[in-house]
Amino acid sequence: MRPILELEELYYRYPGQESPALDGASLQLAPGLKVAVVGRNGSGKSTLFLHCNGILRPDAGTVKLDGRIVTYGRAALCELRRRVGIVFQNPDDQLFSASVAQDIAFGPLNLGMSDSEAGRKAREAAETCGIADLLERPTHALSMGQKTRAAIAGVLAMEPTLLLVDEATGSLDPWVRRDILALFGRLTKAGKTVVVATHDMNTARRWADLVVVMDGGRVIAAEPPERAFAQGILRDLANQMEF
Amino acid sequence: MQIIDRYSYCNRLRTVDPAQKAGLAILTLALCLVLDRPAVGLLAVLWMWALACWRAGLPAPLFGRLLLAEGFFLLLAAFGVALTIGNVAPVASLWRAAVGPWWLSFSRASVESSVALATRALGCTAALNFLALTTPLTDLTDLLRRMRVPSLLVELMTLIYRFVFTLLESLIRIRSAQECRLGYSGFRRGTASAAILAGHLFWDAYLRGKRMQVALDSRGYSGELRLLPLTYRGDSELIWLGAGLCATLLLARVLV
Repeated sequence: MRPILELEELYYRYPGQESPALDGASLQLAPGLKVAVVGRNGSGKSTLFLHCNGILRPDAGTVKLDGRIVTYGRAALCELRRRVGIVFQNPDDQLFSASVAQDIAFGPLNLGMSDSEAGRKAREAAETCGIADLLERPTHALSMGQKTRAAIAGVLAMEPTLLLVDEATGSLDPWVRRDILALFGRLTKAGKTVVVATHDMNTARRWADLVVVMDGGRVIAAEPPERAFAQGILRDLANQMEF
Repeated sequence: MQIIDRYSYCNRLRTVDPAQKAGLAILTLALCLVLDRPAVGLLAVLWMWALACWRAGLPAPLFGRLLLAEGFFLLLAAFGVALTIGNVAPVASLWRAAVGPWWLSFSRASVESSVALATRALGCTAALNFLALTTPLTDLTDLLRRMRVPSLLVELMTLIYRFVFTLLESLIRIRSAQECRLGYSGFRRGTASAAILAGHLFWDAYLRGKRMQVALDSRGYSGELRLLPLTYRGDSELIWLGAGLCATLLLARVLV
């Protein structure tokens, strides 16, 4: 199946840093997959995500969307951000508006939709995420689980084909995390690809179709869970921690 | 502040057009200033209190407590206006006392002007309390946007309002962490901890701002915060009540 997004030999060094955050990272993401990205802190997971969405531009290497190289012009970036949505680790960094409805509708309005269309998209996304009853609530009055759902809805309202979730489920209780992973499962059944960066190896092993292992700014493995956990750094970890 | 915010979201006038509520509050404020009689100010307080409790369903003690806190500061200011300090013995005064070479006194005119000032200010404060307790800031920023206030100003208000709560959470979290490790045991340690807390909050706000910028960019932000316009209902009864308020305040000005 043709990949939606291809990252080829990406190199990136943050200003003032000696070692590169990405050091030749390559990855292909096909439609309808549940992908878990695992790796130590500082292995380059978040930097990789920021490249997928066009927030960061690689020093070297290419990002391809539907087989075409992303050019980072205004129109190309708009298209990339419509197709590739990113949910950040802390929902408080993402929810800027005082009202949930306004926050969710922000992305669709930026895509040039009319107020009524953006409002409809916001309601649909809120229903998908199970927060339709919270649309009129102020964002600061939500619980952490509700904030995470609102942040996901804000991205889903833009109807991306690829959803990147940067450790957003890490601070949630197991019940909310289970519900959100189930939601991601439904999204993949609808043809979207969901990529979750996680430190939870159980999630990687049991939920994902594909486990991407990152180390030192490189993708060192992209395998189905049973194969990924049977080799390399994950095998030792699995043996020691018995998950 | 959190209490005001909470009630502004859960009152019976929440869904009423903020233009109506702001109009009523500004009208009351203007009448208090223009009519300039203590009776007008006091009547405005009663009107606003009644509207907040009866129409908006807010608890009466809440409105009273807020007014009491604000009234305390008004009282201090009014006291300063009423009190005259001079080095010559006042001729016509209600009360006077010598303190060393100085004379402290209250004259009839100064007391009357301080009472007029305090009641006028109290009426204005009650009007703004009514608006603050019945209208969330989202509605006010929406109203400002409709009034063609420059978008930069409205966007700043939106973001500052959001940041107030996230920084408040950070403040509580950091302060608890400091208290757990005896950060506030003693004056010197307490001031040092408070200074660290302030510095950390500044840095936290800066980093949050940067992260929020990234998050906004990822959703197609292009220099303007485009927000969904909110929908409200009109309240004809509030218009009639506003007319009644105007009539009674004008009547109070004529009769008293």
